[in-house]
Amino acid sequence: MTTAPTTTSTTPAGAATPVVLSKSAESALPTVAAVPSRIDGPRPTTGVPFARLIHVELRKMLDTRAGRWLLIGIGAVIAVALTIMFFNEGGQHAFGEYLQATTMPMALILPVVGILAVTSEWSQRTGLVTFGLEPRRARVGWAKTVAALLVGVAAFATSLVLAGIAHQGAVTFRGITPDWTMDGLVLLGAGGYVLLGIAQGLGFGMLLKNTPAAIVLFYILPTAWSILGSMVSWLRDAAVWLDMNQTMQPLFEGSLTGEQWAHLGTSVAVWVILPLTVGMWRLTRSEVK
Amino acid sequence: MITVERLTKRYGPFTAVDDVSFEAKAGLVTGFLGPNGAGKTTAMRIMSGLTPATSGTATVLGKPYAALPNPGRHVGLLLDASAQHAGRTGREVLTLGAILMGVGRQRVDEMIDLVGLTDKEANRRVRNYSLGMRQRLGIAHALLGDPEVLILDEPANGLDPAGIRWMRDLLRGYANEGGTVLLSSHLLNEIERVADEIVVIGHGKIVAQGTKDELLAGAGTFTRSTDDAALMAALAAESIVAQRTATGGLQVDAEPIAVGRIAVAHQIVLTELRGGDSRGLEEMFLDLTADAAREEVAA
Repeated sequence: MTTAPTTTSTTPAGAATPVVLSKSAESALPTVAAVPSRIDGPRPTTGVPFARLIHVELRKMLDTRAGRWLLIGIGAVIAVALTIMFFNEGGQHAFGEYLQATTMPMALILPVVGILAVTSEWSQRTGLVTFGLEPRRARVGWAKTVAALLVGVAAFATSLVLAGIAHQGAVTFRGITPDWTMDGLVLLGAGGYVLLGIAQGLGFGMLLKNTPAAIVLFYILPTAWSILGSMVSWLRDAAVWLDMNQTMQPLFEGSLTGEQWAHLGTSVAVWVILPLTVGMWRLTRSEVK
Repeated sequence: MITVERLTKRYGPFTAVDDVSFEAKAGLVTGFLGPNGAGKTTAMRIMSGLTPATSGTATVLGKPYAALPNPGRHVGLLLDASAQHAGRTGREVLTLGAILMGVGRQRVDEMIDLVGLTDKEANRRVRNYSLGMRQRLGIAHALLGDPEVLILDEPANGLDPAGIRWMRDLLRGYANEGGTVLLSSHLLNEIERVADEIVVIGHGKIVAQGTKDELLAGAGTFTRSTDDAALMAALAAESIVAQRTATGGLQVDAEPIAVGRIAVAHQIVLTELRGGDSRGLEEMFLDLTADAAREEVAA
């Protein structure tokens, strides 16, 4: 044993004696390790603006293959649905019916965007970076919520436009009688259906931190209500208050009694507000690994 | 600068980090050395605000990590190079970071260039990256915000020897400009090539810390003479312990100068006299590693 190990590390950065590196299969490293340049100006003394967090979270929803295919999938389902309607029964459908055809696929699939926005931080372990760059995790949670809801609003606006184009197309090319009637409450119901689904997905994601578990629970819940409700009588009574598929129904019909509003409010509190609240609490407390 | 004081983290009955205190100073590379499972990663996650400590404190630049405004512009983190979304391109990973930190997009190109990823590689998805490429992407991400402090967990893992040499030069240059570097490794020779100061951790506890020269400095003296037996007797008379080594010569528990003086006084001819081998750190580290390995086998 000699004193060799101590001799090498005391030389300064190899600027004077460039190291020739091996030509490996991967790109060769620069021959001289350069020190990164400084960024001009003082270091920031204020936190990351919330708008920037939203921007990044929006981008993260769309920059992966999974996210992109999800949106392409929704688009494809909508296109198929509209095409069928356009040719079925001579295209004689009201605008409201076309709207249903464009909104339904979104309401069904977009919650996955909400789920993935949260669970990928754990499953892909990107949380190490995300929460390292913004340690105030509740802000990240809210940025994800706002970003996912923005996606929902944009999707709903798109579904309105597509339904309008399809209906107008049927009027122009198939000579149907135009029917643009649209109850405000129905519109609210359709929009709410999309946005509440996304919010629920976010809540489930935060609560379970696990992609398959959140997705399965989200999709199995309505079916579970109808199956269990048909077998257990008290569950059937509870479903009136708690099964969101049931409580949302009057919205689409355009009229709600006071009690039906109460049903709707209760189910939203239990399946959307509660998971989001508890999930947000978990998000801020969990250890990021 | 990073200051860790009496940091402890328990998971139920298991103590992952046990009363750890040290300081990583500006302008120096501090090596955090320990076998796998020694608590390095847990300690680094606590410093980065990702894991709450059971007790004790960790501050970066004088503040708890979570209190740093826009921390990416102050501290560069690389905690796990594999913790990236497999479906994103390397460039996209850096772009997201640049947007969040509020640094220009040209900084992304600059960092890709700095770590030697080609344009083609940067546009590939992380799924198709080798571990070495992920490490380089991670280092690029850590340097993106022009931070004052770097916290790197096993950054040399997966780099080839040329890559390790490159990283060493990079970190040396960065520290020379006043930056603070804390990097962990489970490999002694990796750390001793890069670090100025070393903190050795085993079973969650600090077992040694100091400058590299202190830790690697040999214990005692190695000497050979024309008459080892006489020398041993002379040393014993001064109540200095000496041992014959298997290959001949004596390992003496004293400074070389003391051994030289005694030899002169007794007119013994020395054929060799030097500081003892730097066995201490290596042996201590091997003991730690062997413990950890035994536990793995038992588990």
